[in-house]
Amino acid sequence: MFEPFGRLWKQAPFRSTYDAVIVGGGLHGLATAYYLAKNHGVRRVAVLEKNHIGYGSAGRNTAIVRANQRTQENIPLYDEGLKMWPQLMDELDFNLMFFNCGNLNLAHSEAAMGALRLQVASAQYLGVRSELLDRKQCKELIPHLNISEDITYPVFGGMYHPPGGTVRHDALVWALAKGASALGVHIHQQTEVTGIAVHRGRVTAVETSRGTIHTLRVLNAAGPWSVLVSAMVDIRLPIHVLPIQAMVTEPLKPFLHHVISSGAYHCYANQSLKGEVVTGAHMDPWISYGTHVTAHYIKHQAEALTELLPCLRGVKFMRIWGGLADMTPDMAPIIDGNDPIEGYYMDCGWGYFGFKSAAVTGKYVAEYMATGRCPKILQPFRLKRYEENRLLGETASPPQYGPWN
Amino acid sequence: MKRLPHSPTQRIDTRHPLPFSYGGRLLEGYRGDTVATALFANGVRIFSRSLKYHRPRGLYSLDGESSNCLMEIDGLPNMRAEQVPLRGGMQVRPQNVVGSPERDLLGFLDAFHWAMPAGFYYRVFHKPYRLWPFFQTLIRRAAGAGTVNPSWEPGRYDELHFHADVCVVGGGPAGMQAARAAAQTGLRVVLLESRPWLGGFYDWRTVEHHGTPLYERGRHLARELESLSNVRVYTSCTATGLYGDNLVTAVQEGGPDDFFHQRYLEIRARAVVAATGCTERPLVFEHNERPGVMQPGCAHRLARTYGLLPGTAAVFSVGHDLGLEAAADLHDQGLHVACVADCRSDGQDPQRIAALEERNIPFLRGWVAARALGKKAVEAVVLSTTEGSATRTISCDVLAASAGLTPLTGLFSLARLPLSYDERTGYFLPASLPEGLYAAGRLVGYDDPASIELSGTAAGLRAAVHCGALDAPRADEALTELQDNHRVLRGSKLVLAPGAGARSFVCFDEDATVKHVRQSVRMGFDVPELAKRVTAIGTGPSQSGIPGHNLPLIMAHLRGESAGTLRPTTVRPPLKPTLLATYAGLHPDIHKKTPLHDVQERAGAVFRRVGVWKRARYFSSDPTCRDEILNVRNNVGILDGSTLGKFRIFGPDAEKALQRVYVGDMSRVPAGKLKYSAMCTEDGCLLDDGVATKLGENDYYFTTSTGRAGATVEWFRFHTRHEDWEYYLVNLTDSLASINLAGPKARDVLQQLTDADVSNDAFPFMGYREFRLKGLVPARVLRLGFVGELSYEIHIPSSMARTVWQWLLEAGRPLGIRPFGLEAQNVLRMEKGHVIIGQESEIRTTLIDLGLGFLWDRTKTWAKTVGAPALQFAESQEGRLKLVGFLVDGSRPPLDGSIVVDGSIRGHVCTCRYSPTLDKAIGLALVDDDLAALGSRLRIFEPGDPPEYFDARVVPTPFYDPEGQRMKC
Ligand SMILES: Cc1cc2nc3c(=O)[nH]c(=O)nc-3n(C[C@H](O)[C@H](O)[C@H](O)COP(=O)(O)OP(=O)(O)OC[C@H]3O[C@@H](n4cnc5c(N)ncnc54)[C@H](O)[C@@H]3O)c2cc1C
Repeated sequence: MFEPFGRLWKQAPFRSTYDAVIVGGGLHGLATAYYLAKNHGVRRVAVLEKNHIGYGSAGRNTAIVRANQRTQENIPLYDEGLKMWPQLMDELDFNLMFFNCGNLNLAHSEAAMGALRLQVASAQYLGVRSELLDRKQCKELIPHLNISEDITYPVFGGMYHPPGGTVRHDALVWALAKGASALGVHIHQQTEVTGIAVHRGRVTAVETSRGTIHTLRVLNAAGPWSVLVSAMVDIRLPIHVLPIQAMVTEPLKPFLHHVISSGAYHCYANQSLKGEVVTGAHMDPWISYGTHVTAHYIKHQAEALTELLPCLRGVKFMRIWGGLADMTPDMAPIIDGNDPIEGYYMDCGWGYFGFKSAAVTGKYVAEYMATGRCPKILQPFRLKRYEENRLLGETASPPQYGPWN
Repeated sequence: MKRLPHSPTQRIDTRHPLPFSYGGRLLEGYRGDTVATALFANGVRIFSRSLKYHRPRGLYSLDGESSNCLMEIDGLPNMRAEQVPLRGGMQVRPQNVVGSPERDLLGFLDAFHWAMPAGFYYRVFHKPYRLWPFFQTLIRRAAGAGTVNPSWEPGRYDELHFHADVCVVGGGPAGMQAARAAAQTGLRVVLLESRPWLGGFYDWRTVEHHGTPLYERGRHLARELESLSNVRVYTSCTATGLYGDNLVTAVQEGGPDDFFHQRYLEIRARAVVAATGCTERPLVFEHNERPGVMQPGCAHRLARTYGLLPGTAAVFSVGHDLGLEAAADLHDQGLHVACVADCRSDGQDPQRIAALEERNIPFLRGWVAARALGKKAVEAVVLSTTEGSATRTISCDVLAASAGLTPLTGLFSLARLPLSYDERTGYFLPASLPEGLYAAGRLVGYDDPASIELSGTAAGLRAAVHCGALDAPRADEALTELQDNHRVLRGSKLVLAPGAGARSFVCFDEDATVKHVRQSVRMGFDVPELAKRVTAIGTGPSQSGIPGHNLPLIMAHLRGESAGTLRPTTVRPPLKPTLLATYAGLHPDIHKKTPLHDVQERAGAVFRRVGVWKRARYFSSDPTCRDEILNVRNNVGILDGSTLGKFRIFGPDAEKALQRVYVGDMSRVPAGKLKYSAMCTEDGCLLDDGVATKLGENDYYFTTSTGRAGATVEWFRFHTRHEDWEYYLVNLTDSLASINLAGPKARDVLQQLTDADVSNDAFPFMGYREFRLKGLVPARVLRLGFVGELSYEIHIPSSMARTVWQWLLEAGRPLGIRPFGLEAQNVLRMEKGHVIIGQESEIRTTLIDLGLGFLWDRTKTWAKTVGAPALQFAESQEGRLKLVGFLVDGSRPPLDGSIVVDGSIRGHVCTCRYSPTLDKAIGLALVDDDLAALGSRLRIFEPGDPPEYFDARVVPTPFYDPEGQRMKC
């Protein structure tokens, strides 16, 4: 127990043929590889990562998990995902630090209360715990919350979701890599996919910076870069890649016991097990693959947080970082396969909410790739929905203004 | 502890004692002290306990490179005592200890370090899962340094935003020369220095350069600079960020005479000069952070700046001539220097060695500290040859140790410049700098005073060239001079002392050792960015302060590679942890008020923020607004609609532009009449609605919803960007106020204010007129019916709004006029079945889904109407959500956001209210199209514990006055 870990994932030989190739060593890619091997006996799987695993959003997110989404197409997937953490910790034998602290989402107007009520109603109706609180109840839950009238957006009430919380993001990357590798999956880092060969409407190989790999199944799990990978097979994705930032304060003794978020203030915060207040997330509204940060965001965040939680005035920001969010028009992912190219699958467009769903989605995408049939739970996320002008209802307002986690 | 006799290098003022308390004890320091030096003067040696192992930690450096001196100061946790200037009456307390730093009950944890390998937390506590919450609580309690103080009241937090030509970061000799050189070309220069004074490395040194002691030279340069009128110097001011286009952010600590506590600065500079210098590269050996181990520079400055001898007997283990200089000088100050070891086998300045010899200080070349002995403080040190072939133990109470120098490259990291290894200096530096960013001084490896100053001048001149204040050749001259004379450091290459392992700390903040790094390499985390994640190295408050450039060197060493194969981890803003209060600064609450804000406030309005505006929502404490509603239905009400978007568009192609963005045919707007139309997104989804009227040929006046007013000009321009059209679009939203006068008696009120004929025949429904009110105020009057009654929307110059509001109230008083707010309007319009965008629509709701398809003119295909193809596509699509009106069985309305269900979710309630006019609960809902037929039964689920179900029936809208008689009469 106290001896150090050995190598978490093996250094594997680079083969020229695999049964399935996964582009992207992020969470969705690793999870799919793990479940392909574990549940479907597909073990000759390669995960190709152009950098190191977890380099993308997997290593930059704030790891908030919840299942109080807005629509019946989304809730069941996230609900199952949320229930998986204890089991995953056991099965992967890795402490993923699931912190079931519950999430409080604040409303600052009558209209916002109505919008939250819709989410609470959908959750309750589908058996997910979620409730509306008035402002006094919010204060009882989070004694440091400022519910006075004299702030920019006075608190009206909130949506409390007890089963949610946070997970340690890196731990999930490593645990999945370890689990997949133990089952025979090859993880190739510093290996960039540069092309996908298609012959007569079906995938035959992928080109990489280290040579060609023959395969009949490819998953595009390249996160923010999924648009570029998709372009290799001439499929245009309705994804905007926007820079998104988050930051942490210095570590403090426990004082904030929930995830708290506010739409009007455009911020959320929670205290990690290590004691840092983790807070995000701002998206620049312009498209960019740069992971830069901006001066104004850190200032905005301080202004917002010191109004909501005045006790944070005497706390220091320690560092801010940037990542990328692959945003779809309806803030729901694109999960599809064999259409129009046999053997080409995609699991992308996860924006800023793809951490919490990674394991469960990987499980079903693996089933999809192993059987060729799309599991029912993933059917709402087809790419065609955009062509048919049938957006999912995950957001009522334009995508820039959601709960950002 | 007695201070050393006065020396001109000292920065303390012994005539000004300052009392303060530490952990309940009353102590005294002097003006000029930091909290840390004052504590040191009072004999405090253990300043804190480390995060994981609760090892004692002491004063190691003076510029905040580690968490060793984190304390609670005046109620604020995690303050760096070595950077906080002492003030009288300060309350200082140790933190994160059970007991005191000297006797911490958690100190036993240190004995269990073997049980906590890298990645330890990921291996344990999770099996069986049910025990995890218990351990989780323990982990949470153990983690975290300071404690939040909810009752802390911040003082004054100021902010400054300004432009400068050249921003120099770092006020050492290089930075001062850069500032001076740039300023002499006439540019506006700002200089930021973290310490309370300028001078950098010169400030405490008495060695002479060209006959002048360095400290004197430093002070001379500082005085010269401060006298220049185009240079602004900010001391106690640390640059925290460098962003695109040379936006520099900084944080300034207020001094005793400043009106602010801290200040946030944002400087937009044309050129930036980085002259941040070096700090000492920590020497990594066993127990390298025992109290008593400190950087040679720290020991030297304690004596020379603060008049404090660091101890009684010292051993030096250094890697740079500055360490040799410090040893000799401290000897002269009265410190017994038992031995000086230098890890370099050659290359020392002969003068420095001679100085040691003169003083009979034993000097060992190619030797290094390998282990500090002593439990709570250093008692002796084991010195070793660098290859470990021989050792020697020497008693001491101070071990001044460093591996050499390391540049403070934070700014380069913020500028996202890749760092690469420089063989000569052993520094990680960018291969090249982008235009507009220049570097000078020790930071880039210059080592002797002349080169350092010259490099500053050259950088300042190059910045001036960049700003266009100087011709390039002048700057080139300085560069050539520099190249001819420069001396670049040959840095020490030592990576680890022999035997460095389980207690050799690579990162003090996170208690991470060489052993942890080795384990992480073995686990596959073999580059610094990954090792950082699993060992937490560099994720503490001082980021890369201690591990910085050591980590890539150590990892390469452990992998058996040559130095420089790996890169340091990324340093991120803020370069110094910064209070949220400081970032929040003055934090004014920025919002817009309509010109009628104050009069409504006096009338008892309750305001809500709507986008950038504050708007009146209620005029009583009754949330149902019954009286406000009925008064509009029966008498007349008045509403401030000034936030409404108001625009004029004119020019030869104005009509074409309207045709492009509006779904209706805008050529068919007769003069004097209004046309209601909508704008859609490319998806055919409703974006905005409003009315337009024609003022003349290609000259229109139109309104938008409040929320879209700010985006309208951009929307027009975007959708006509490929056309060569000429039109002018003027946003009149703020210059015109709008008052909605509504109710059956509206005409009687309006007539009293004008001679114009406002009879139904002369000014019918959907008419537009311009006339003067009381012969004075020019008004544009729109006869509309959003709330379903006879109503006039009166647009007047904002400056006249209050007058007109008053006139209307006076005229209407006998008729029972009273103001109404947004919630009353919400119910009134709902009774009429009118939609509010965002309330009755989602982003995916098309015009047709809302039953507004009739607004779309499908004949004007030539106009390329935005959204038309999508409307055509989705027009006859099945399975979409449709907007319906419904009547609830019973009088209690389900709350907004309740859902329509029948085993699955089939839609939701957009708005539902009890209608006082109709005495029924009515609402609008978006439901699946197969439930949208008139007469369909809806089952509504309102969440709660327990939830409530409602039954309702789809009915036609409008609910109220379906023929529209009331607004047309
Ligand atoms: C600041 C921030 C905060 C967030 N907060 C949350 C949160 O609180 N909760 C939540 O649920 N989600 C959150 N997210 C979103 C979440 O992190 C992502 O949705 C999720 O990580 C997506 O996983 P992925 O596996 O699809 O992509 P990634 O993790 O980005 O992985 C994609 C990988 O593909 C690799 N790649 C790309 N192109 C190629 C190529 N051609 N060849 C080989 N490899 C390639 C990349 O290097 C990368 O490692 C946040 C995101 C950010 C940036």
